[in-house]
Parts: sequence; C-alpha cells; structure tokens
Amino acid sequence: MKADTTSALNAEALEELRPEQQLGKTALLLAVVCVAAWFSNMINGAPLLQALPGMILLYAMVMLGLVIGRFVPFYLPSVAWVSLVSIAMTLPFFPGNAWIVGQLAHVNFLAVVTPVLAYAGLALTGREFTMFRQTGWKLVIVSLLVFTGTFVASAFIAHLII
Amino acid sequence: MDMKLLLDWRLHLTVVLASLLAEAIGILRIPLGPGTLLLLPLFYAFLIGVLLNPHLFSGMQRIIPKRVSNAAGPLIMISILPFIAKFGSTIGPAIEQIIAAGPALILQELGNLGTMLLALPFAVLVLRMGREAIGATYSIAREPNIAIISDKYGLRSPEGIGIMGVYVVGTMFGTLYFALMAGYLASLDVLDIRALAMACGVGSGSMVAACSGALAEAAPHLRDELLAFSGASNLLTYATGLYVSLFIALPAAEWLYKRLGGAPLQEVRHES
Repeated sequence: MKADTTSALNAEALEELRPEQQLGKTALLLAVVCVAAWFSNMINGAPLLQALPGMILLYAMVMLGLVIGRFVPFYLPSVAWVSLVSIAMTLPFFPGNAWIVGQLAHVNFLAVVTPVLAYAGLALTGREFTMFRQTGWKLVIVSLLVFTGTFVASAFIAHLII
Repeated sequence: MDMKLLLDWRLHLTVVLASLLAEAIGILRIPLGPGTLLLLPLFYAFLIGVLLNPHLFSGMQRIIPKRVSNAAGPLIMISILPFIAKFGSTIGPAIEQIIAAGPALILQELGNLGTMLLALPFAVLVLRMGREAIGATYSIAREPNIAIISDKYGLRSPEGIGIMGVYVVGTMFGTLYFALMAGYLASLDVLDIRALAMACGVGSGSMVAACSGALAEAAPHLRDELLAFSGASNLLTYATGLYVSLFIALPAAEWLYKRLGGAPLQEVRHES
C-alpha cells in the first residue's frame, strides 16, 4: 500500500517501489520501521526487552519472504510471500513452533499497525488533498458503497455456509 | 528515493511519538443506535499524521518539510510487512480450523462480485458518472485491480480515473471505514462474527488489520480464530482475486454498465 500513487503509477515506478527489488535498502528501512513498531508495542503489548525476540522474528520472516520473492522465477506480491513464510514457521509441525508463537505473543497485533497509519497520514500529498476537494465527494460515496457492498456480500455468503 | 530522506530522523521520531500517544489513548467505545463504534489507536495515529502533514498545514513544515513527508509514502508499504508476518503467524497454529472452514472461505470470495451490484447502478443512475463508474466499481481497487485496469484501458482513461479515485479514498479512509463497519456490524449481532472475519479479507493489508482487529476487540474470546480466518481469507483474495476480477468481475461490470447506460438518464448527462 502506498499513498503517492497519482504521481507514481506507471509500471516503472511500481517496479522501483517493490521492496524485493532492492533488498539492501529495504533491509535497512525495515529495521527502522520495526523499531517504530517495537516502541509502539510498549504501551499495550509488552516491555521493550520482552518483545525484542518477537520483533526480531518478524523482521527475519519479512526478509526471508522478500528474498524468496526476489529469486523465484514467477511473480507473487511480496505480502503473499511474507505471509506464507510466517504461516509455515508457525505450523504445528514446524520445528520450534511453540517457542516462535510464544515470542510473537508479546507483540500486540494492532500495535504493529499504529505506526503504519501514522506514516500514511504523513505521506498524503498536496495532489491528493486537492483531488479530494475537487471531485472527492462523488468518489467518496461510490467508494463507500464499493467497500460496503463487497464486505456485506462476502460476509453474507460466508454466514450462509458456516 | 534518496536514502537520506527515507531515514530522516524527524519523520521516524514523529511516527514513534504519534504511535505512543495513540496507543496511550487506547480503544474508545461509542454507543450508536443499536450498535457500538470502536475507535482504535490506528485511527488516532492516522489523524495525528494528517494534522502534522505539511501539505495540509504549511506551518507544519517547520517540523516536517514537504520532501520528508513524501518519503513517508514508500515507507507505508515496508512498515506493513512486519504486520503481515504477525498476521500469518495467527494462521499457522489454526490451520486445522481453517481447513475445516474451507468451503465457506473459498465461496465468500464471490462476495467480491457484490461490489458492483450496489455501487455501479448508483454511480451511473444517481451520480450520473460515465465510464469512470466501471473502473470505480468493478473491484475494491487495490493494487492488483489497478494493474488490470492499467493494462486494459490505461490509467488516464475514464476507467483509470475511476479506479484511482477509489484507490485513493481507500488509502485515506478505507482502513478506518472497514474497522468502523466491521465493529458496528459485529455489535448488531445479525451475521456470524466468523463470517465477518472472513469478509475482512477482501481489503488491502491495513484494511484487513483494522477490520479484524476491530472484530477481535468486539469478541475477545474468539480473538485468535477471527484473526486466523481473516488472514486466510486475505491470502485467498491474493491468490484468486486477480483472476476473479479479470475474467468475471470486469466483463460483468461492462455488461451491467451497457444495460444501465441505455437508460434516459445517461442521455441527459451527455446533453448537459
């Protein structure tokens, strides 16, 4: 997810933004954003030291996912690789899975997202604010209908089957 | 983008302080009609970010210059990855329950097609939008869907403008809207909360996060199961969503648009 799309949405720019295409740079930036998440986790998650192994595990899972995404011969979004890696490492038969799950329990699920939204709020550009003032309202209504329609239809189908 | 900008300490310190403040406020519950709205720390973090955004208030340039704010864009995608990893780790331990719920999980993906049934007629008949309506309503407008439209019509076409509009709205408010909607629907207690958790999976990473997080707060005793369901559903959306939107949703939107476009309202739009 990125906010600065209106100016950067051609294939080249998308390519450049894909984190698995520049692993060294991503490794450093990822460390910085992990530190932000680690601090954010302090209040509703666990004290810094207690959460440290969990945060390091998350960092390692992300990097492993990105490395796989970089070198496999076909394309899947990096989020898909990262989640596949962490699913695999927490499966009941994965060696050390209980320890991994135990360490990750010290990282609060929502605390990790809080800094993401802070970055998102700071990243909005003048262009996005301007677009919003001009044609915003129609698209806002349509967007909310789109989100509601998708969510309610999916939930309804799932509800019928469960 | 320049590494110096991406590593600017003012940006990251601001984010850490905003997150700490947001977490300290914690979760607020606001009764609304028959249900309850849940306000999560991620809302406040977003709001604080917007209020400090130098593009909105030029006075903020003293704290965060505009070029540093621009560097926050690429960081969103990287900072969501640790969350995705945390998310995946809720799926592994619950793999047996997920397999048991398999049919419901797979079929609810068809709900993605429900998108346009409501939104497309409204966009065409009430708001009198043109072909933008196709791009705007054929999908939930995340990255794979943009790729399809860009490939087929180009992003400067009406369809492209439509999907970019929904994309931007989704980026700005989607996370908040999904969490509010999910929390509210859960409090109404009409649909099974596990079904709601599966429906959370339709969105992008942060939408899924906010949505399932809100549900987990609404039903703490089901927390792990709910997170696992939305994670699995999101994964399936990534696996199948591209093909469903390309081969089913987009042709269906074109067809429905043509049917609706025959209505007299469409003529009025062209004359005025």
